[in-house]
Amino acid sequence: MALGSPSPASPALVESRLVQAHGLAALATLLVSVTFGIIIALQLWVPDLGAGTPWLSWGRLRYAHTQGIMLGWLANAFFAFLYHAVPRLTGRPVTSPQLGRWLFALWNIAVMLPGWVLVLAGVSQPLEWAEFPLVVDAVVLVGVVMAVIQFVPPFFTRGLDSLYVSSWYVIGGLVFTALAYPMGNIVPEFVPGAAGAAFSGLWIHDAVGLFVTPMALAIIYYVIPAVTRKPIFSHFLSMLGFWLLFFLYPLNGTHHYVLSVIPMEAQVTAITASALLGVTVIIVVANLLLSLHGSGVLAEDHGLRFVVMATIFYLVVSIQGSLQAFMSVNAFVHFTDWVIGHSHLAMLGFATFAAAGGLAHAWPHIPGARYNPRAMTWAYWLLLGGLTTMVVDLTIAGLVEGQLWQMGAPWTASLEAARPYWIVRTLSAVPIAGGFIAFLVGLTTGPRTDSGAGVAS
Amino acid sequence: MTSQPGPVLRMSYLAASIAGVAFFVLSVAWLGVWPARKLAEQARLTGPEHPLALTASEVRGRAVYAREGCAYCHSQQVRFTDADIARFGAPTMAWETRGDTPHMMGTRRIGPDLARVSGTRSQDWHLTHLYAPRSVVPASVMPAYRHLFQGAPDQPGQSARDLVAYLETLGRVRDLAWPGGEAPAEVVHPARARRTGEVPELQADGDAALGAMLYAGHCAACHGASGIGDGPGAVGLRPRPTNLALHSYSQERVAEVLWNGVAGTAMPAWRDRSIEELSALAAHLQRISVPGVPADPLRADQIRPTDEERDLGGRIYAANCAQCHGAEGAGDGSAAIDLPVAPTNFTRQTPMFDEALRALRNGIDGTPMAPWGSRLSGDELTAVAHYVREFYGGRR
Ligand code: HEC
Ligand code: HEC
Ligand code: HEC
Repeated sequence: MALGSPSPASPALVESRLVQAHGLAALATLLVSVTFGIIIALQLWVPDLGAGTPWLSWGRLRYAHTQGIMLGWLANAFFAFLYHAVPRLTGRPVTSPQLGRWLFALWNIAVMLPGWVLVLAGVSQPLEWAEFPLVVDAVVLVGVVMAVIQFVPPFFTRGLDSLYVSSWYVIGGLVFTALAYPMGNIVPEFVPGAAGAAFSGLWIHDAVGLFVTPMALAIIYYVIPAVTRKPIFSHFLSMLGFWLLFFLYPLNGTHHYVLSVIPMEAQVTAITASALLGVTVIIVVANLLLSLHGSGVLAEDHGLRFVVMATIFYLVVSIQGSLQAFMSVNAFVHFTDWVIGHSHLAMLGFATFAAAGGLAHAWPHIPGARYNPRAMTWAYWLLLGGLTTMVVDLTIAGLVEGQLWQMGAPWTASLEAARPYWIVRTLSAVPIAGGFIAFLVGLTTGPRTDSGAGVAS
Repeated sequence: MTSQPGPVLRMSYLAASIAGVAFFVLSVAWLGVWPARKLAEQARLTGPEHPLALTASEVRGRAVYAREGCAYCHSQQVRFTDADIARFGAPTMAWETRGDTPHMMGTRRIGPDLARVSGTRSQDWHLTHLYAPRSVVPASVMPAYRHLFQGAPDQPGQSARDLVAYLETLGRVRDLAWPGGEAPAEVVHPARARRTGEVPELQADGDAALGAMLYAGHCAACHGASGIGDGPGAVGLRPRPTNLALHSYSQERVAEVLWNGVAGTAMPAWRDRSIEELSALAAHLQRISVPGVPADPLRADQIRPTDEERDLGGRIYAANCAQCHGAEGAGDGSAAIDLPVAPTNFTRQTPMFDEALRALRNGIDGTPMAPWGSRLSGDELTAVAHYVREFYGGRR
């Protein structure tokens, strides 16, 4: 058993059209979701924007924003990456191109489209990261099962003799999501009150920790050795990290309801797991950064560059997460913009940079695809600048709000104090949206790749 | 290269799949199923046996609340923290939410927690606030839910009425379960209007400039910039915001109104403001009430009652008004206690003569004060209007 960098598969094995289709769908849904986000950011200081038009009201757009980011952008980008990586990791094609076309159509036409339309029309469920209504949930579930059938069997039927950490994350993440999705999206519709919240809490964390994180880590663990052409630093640390993450992530959920009526034992379990998770992530990230073997943070290769930044964000957001689970910190920052900053650091920092890295890495391998490196450089810097501004801004806003609430100041005082931060946060959307547009330009302009085999990265 | 994954490799893949399943089961059992059972047990032990179920209208209101994403700006859980308890009241217990499917406990507060909102605001305030939040709370960032109305705050559609009905259930069961036994929870919401209660003394020399600023920021929305009751929020409110320019208040009464609000009306309490700020507001109020006629409205008023008018007024008052407004005008008549809005205590505040006459003729919409124009003659109205004004400042 050797630890290798993924070997180039024969192009015939790779469904390049599906990489491309999911990649473009990812960016299309991303731009729509970002637009929703910009409107609700604006509405916090121009609150009458869209008043009187039900589908433009803050709550409904808020639902559409996060579901779009997770199921539209990230899931599509992950699928694109899986079509690129699974054949290379296993030496086998995915289960069925036919199934792939169905999955693509189902995901975008039977999940995203009706999901958004229904939520904006007022058919939804008020559950975080689970706002699409039950009918759509059922379709998502079918889609996840299809994804498991599509991507998991190749690992078992025939494989290369090298072991890739990525593979574990792909398998573990997909299997876990197939189970956790119904738990988070359907169970709280039937289990009332604080008990329902306990399940929601699990899902809020599982969505990020066991769907998004494993896929993002799969990309990172794949792209680093693929580009550096050197193996991961320590096989032992990879393995340790994998098992600890899969053990600890699911036990974090209750930290979304610290100091609530949910039994103290459960809260303490989650807080302990959160603290241990922070330590684990330090191990995982150290292993990943050491695997760069001196390639540096700002690698020439755009895929690698995005992925390295994702790794750094992963470290920061995880340590922040451990910290804010502690009761004393949580009592202060919970309910404030601090947490909104945290979730953007996770989804827009860590996950989005990993997904973007995966796409940037896979794209030049698509025969005949266009690729524009200059635009990718722009995308990188715009996203990095915008995201950093937003997270720093929201974090400070959260501290200010928390302080005013602790002091017993009138509620409106916290609104007035937050206003300048909300304006800056909206302005940070300019570079972020610009970065995503540049990314789209990067994948749709520039010279075509060799329509035969695809260029080496 | 082998054509089959090595046995170890395949084992590891299998292990990864099993990890997905096993850790999932473990986490759900540990942090989902077990807490759910504990919570059910706790709810059974501490909750009322037959909690009030929601009516059809309240259930519909809940659905509106869910679909509009209210829960993403308003939590529905008072946490076990000092800051939460001080601001919102008793922490949320397991049994309180046992009927909530799906739960809406929330994880973000752009607006305040709503778990204890029942009874803190009047119906007309809620409707006006939903229709145009900034017309009653200028600094608000809450979305305007105009689409739930037929063009005006006092023309709510069915959904708006359902929604307000639902809001009135939040915390209601808790109140009913321990009637009066939850004093801190009863009084804690800073805007909850109360009929009685200790009122702190305000400083006599409040900073009128600060007062003017606070007034412009918080009061003008309803009472109008000049205090004549024509603010943008006034349109849908019943009773209408008082025309402050046509009333005089004792300092004591101003303190009471600011501290307790006016129960049964949209006038909120301002207990979350410092004494300094409240004193400043009081100073500003003294300025805008009766412009150009400060200290003694009775002397300044040209029209003085004759002795016959006083007699007539006294008789009419005793026969028709005392049961509510009290024999001595202190608002403590025998019927007063049952009224949704307390009758005016004329010893501590008085309307200008014309304003008193107007209130008598037309009544005060939205309060038990009925119109007397058709029941009393013009002379009688004049006489009794004079009569009530003379209670002010202990003249009678
Ligand atoms: C964008 C965030 C936001 C949304 C969405 C929102 N609100 Fe609010 N809400 C606020 C803010 C901020 C305040 C505090 C300022 C004020 O009183 O308007 C508030 C105040 C309130 C209050 C007064 C609470 C008190 O104790 O003073 C009620 C009641 C209320 N909202 C109900 C609702 C309902 C019902 C919905 C859904 C139809 C809703 N809100 C949606 C932000 C929001
Ligand atoms: C949401 C609208 C609203 C706001 C905001 C508001 N008021 Fe009022 N206020 C009312 C209404 C309605 C009444 C009438 C109550 C009645 O008829 O007894 C009232 C009555 C009063 C009264 C007279 C009480 C009485 O018994 O006649 C005073 C004094 C007063 N308000 C002062 C203020 C001050 C000072 C502020 C700002 C700190 C303020 N109000 C803000 C709606 C409002
Ligand atoms: C059913 C009880 C009731 C009766 C009877 C009643 N009132 Fe009233 N009155 C009220 C209430 C309640 C208010 C409104 C207080 C408020 O708006 O806060 C009021 C308000 C008034 C006001 C306006 C005070 C102001 O500050 O603007 C005047 C004047 C008044 N009443 C005079 C009378 C007179 C004179 C009579 C007898 C002819 C009378 N009332 C009979 C209950 C009553």
